[in-house]
Amino acid sequence: MVELILFYAFAGVIIFSAMLMVLSRNIFHSALFLAVTLLGVAALFAMMGSFFIAGIQVLLYIGAVVVLTIFVINLTKQVIGQDAPQVNEHVIPAIITSLLAACLIILAVLKTDWGTRIAQSVAQTELTDNTALIGRQLLTNFVIPFEVVSVLLLAALIGAIAIVSRDKEAEK
Amino acid sequence: MDTISMLGLITAALPILAFIIIVAFTKKYRLTSALVSITAVAISFSLSCYMLYQQIIAPGLHSFNIPWMYIGSLELNMGVMINQLTTIMLFVVTLVSMLVQIYSMGYMHDDEGFSKFFSFLSLFTFSMLGIVISNNLMQIYIFWELVGVCSYLLIGFWYTKPEASDAAKKAFIVNRVGDFGFLLGILLLTFRAGTFDFIKVIAFVQSGAIEPGMMTIIALLLFCGAVGKSAQFPLHVWLPDAMEGPTPVSALIHAATMVAAGVFMVARLYAIFSMSQDAMHVIAYIGGFTSIFAATIALVQKDIKRILAFSTLSQLGYMILALGAGGYTAGMFHLTTHAFFKALLFLGAGSVIHAVHTNDIWQTGGLHKKMPITSITMLIATLAIAGIFPLAGFWSKDEILVTLHDSGNTLLYYTAIITAFMTAFYMFRLYIVTFLGEQGHHSEHAHESPLTMTIPLMILAVFSIFAGLVGIPGQEINISKFIFFSESAGSHAESMNMGIAVTSSIVALSGIALAFIVYFFKFIKAESLKKISGPIYTLLENKYYIDEIYMFFIKNVFFVITEALKWFDRNVVDGAVNLVAFLTRWGGNKLRRTTTGSVQTYALVIFSGMIIAIIAFAIYDPEALKLLGRP
Amino acid sequence: MITLAHYIILGAILFAIGIFGVITRRNAIGILMSLELIFNAVNINMVAFSRFLTPEGAYGELFTIFIITVAAAESVLGLAIILAIYRKRQVLNADEMNLMKW
Repeated sequence: MVELILFYAFAGVIIFSAMLMVLSRNIFHSALFLAVTLLGVAALFAMMGSFFIAGIQVLLYIGAVVVLTIFVINLTKQVIGQDAPQVNEHVIPAIITSLLAACLIILAVLKTDWGTRIAQSVAQTELTDNTALIGRQLLTNFVIPFEVVSVLLLAALIGAIAIVSRDKEAEK
Repeated sequence: MDTISMLGLITAALPILAFIIIVAFTKKYRLTSALVSITAVAISFSLSCYMLYQQIIAPGLHSFNIPWMYIGSLELNMGVMINQLTTIMLFVVTLVSMLVQIYSMGYMHDDEGFSKFFSFLSLFTFSMLGIVISNNLMQIYIFWELVGVCSYLLIGFWYTKPEASDAAKKAFIVNRVGDFGFLLGILLLTFRAGTFDFIKVIAFVQSGAIEPGMMTIIALLLFCGAVGKSAQFPLHVWLPDAMEGPTPVSALIHAATMVAAGVFMVARLYAIFSMSQDAMHVIAYIGGFTSIFAATIALVQKDIKRILAFSTLSQLGYMILALGAGGYTAGMFHLTTHAFFKALLFLGAGSVIHAVHTNDIWQTGGLHKKMPITSITMLIATLAIAGIFPLAGFWSKDEILVTLHDSGNTLLYYTAIITAFMTAFYMFRLYIVTFLGEQGHHSEHAHESPLTMTIPLMILAVFSIFAGLVGIPGQEINISKFIFFSESAGSHAESMNMGIAVTSSIVALSGIALAFIVYFFKFIKAESLKKISGPIYTLLENKYYIDEIYMFFIKNVFFVITEALKWFDRNVVDGAVNLVAFLTRWGGNKLRRTTTGSVQTYALVIFSGMIIAIIAFAIYDPEALKLLGRP
Repeated sequence: MITLAHYIILGAILFAIGIFGVITRRNAIGILMSLELIFNAVNINMVAFSRFLTPEGAYGELFTIFIITVAAAESVLGLAIILAIYRKRQVLNADEMNLMKW
């Protein structure tokens, strides 16, 4: 019961702040609402027992991505406090499309007969911490994707620096 | 593959080798080119002699087949087939070709395209030999077209002259009409018989597996090819114009060999033709009509080569007539003798033209003293073609007349007799006007031609005299026994029919006498003859206006149809293409606006498209929405 | 009792909101943030599937780690590009970045 209440509370926070994030006229506020949403998602991860993922979510998403976003917002100063409409002319088609997308997924979920597999699994693993399992998997079976992703990250870093660094030729 | 058929292959292959050598290596060296070409054909000639000798002492069929390709169950072969008929043709073709090439060394001496000329001659010789040694219909058709190409190249040899290039095109196009029928005939025959091979096709036809009506159609379609190549009546128009080519070409291609290909083809496929009496009648009547028709035109022509061209038409008509009447041997025999004396006539005419630089017989005259060798050899050939005993033409013509007489068709028989009379008349008209009589103003500086030109004349003269002797009825070595094929024994006289021989001699002599009366002694003025005949003379001079009728037909019927087709092509076909192009451009122009450059529009379209696709899929199969799939 | 369906439906809603944001936000940074919402929707699904269907291998969670990493790389690059564009052309709105049109 407590679980259920917690779930609905977090879900409400997530959806509410996500809506605010999308609809907010101020981009800076949007970024803050994004942080709230991500925090809610992290809480859900924790509820499911994935404490490691929840930690990463907080560290990486809120600690890095959102902060970086706010930096960029600040670098492109003029937008703070702006009151011009922040949505474009596609609002109505976008509402229809996204509603349909949500409906389709929900319909699919409800139509699906999940059967016995879920009941067993949940019974076995409820709220057990699997950080150790993830660590083992990452360094054994998934070591190659792990390395590849680190190279990708490095490449993205270098790329970002290359894109943003000021053109010396242009400055002269 | 036995020796004889191998030799046949080599005989045909040597000229193409010469052609390749000339084109690839010796084009710049005139004399070398000529020698290469002549050497090749001389070797071919000696091989032909050997094969002819072998066939005389031991007649038989030698052949081999090389599979070329398979189309379904249809087998395409290339091969060689040597029998008596083939060896005679090989002998004639290589002999005339060799002599003409030697002659050309003198005749074409100052021409810029000397080497090219010899390469073409070699190519032609190869193609002609290819026809002769073919053992199947497809192969004969390939070479058939090749000689057409060579004929085109050689008629248009002096392509800077508009008449020559026009004549070349005309020859090619008119031949195509006949060849089209020929191809249809071949395909129809093969469609029924399932093979191209002569022997198998003939066996199939003789088994009576094709119904008579179809047989007639096939035979007539095949005959179309002969009508085109041998210039028979409706398609004869190209041959007189072909005289625009160099004279040796006229002698080789348009008198002795290529135009005989039609006759040869009919003879080769004689068994097929003889299955259809109707077709044989058509062939006989076309031949007979052509012979008298061309002879009448030849009576009034002025151009020495055109007279000979119409004479050729007439003589080819004779051969076709003989074949149509069942005289296979007679036709082939006449082909052989005709090849010699007609080649001689053309080469002699070439010698005259070489000396006086004009084709108009009325501008020459009295050449006998200036050019004795040419004159004497020409006289021999003229006597031969007129059918005077005991020259070659007498025997072969006699054979044809006997065949016609025995076939019981009096109309054709008298046609042939009248044609013989006219032949004697116009040939002597030509001879008297050119060589006897007063000097024309072009003949003052005339001189005898060089040895390279006169020697071939002399050799051909010898053949023109003696070639007929193999046809004397009743003797041991006899052409009729040699190439005797499928004729009924009755149609073939074992001894001379004295009545017919005397008749034909009298007819020929009276023709000659008339020519002397009119053109030598001038008892009757040629001018007054012209006046008496009046419109008929004009009609003949204009060759019955056949060319004009064709042109009228082409302008008023053909061009109207082509104009309509052109309109259809320009407006409907092109219009459809243009419409597609226009729609594409128009549509592209409109669709261009969708490339807004706005990322979010793209995203919206992609997402909504995806959603629509999923919904459509779900409507088609609702089960597909289940996430875990079917058990 | 919370079932898998709860999590997936939550993910679907979050996903739809993300799509709405991507399509409608004028500000390019807003688009990037909406993309993060979509990633999170996917992550919720991934973790939920992992917990409910294959807890023995934690595959979904492993993939979540990769997704988070790639998402981080993506937002870094995206923000860098936006910054570069801003420097050159002084615009932030996606509908003004339309050089690539007809």
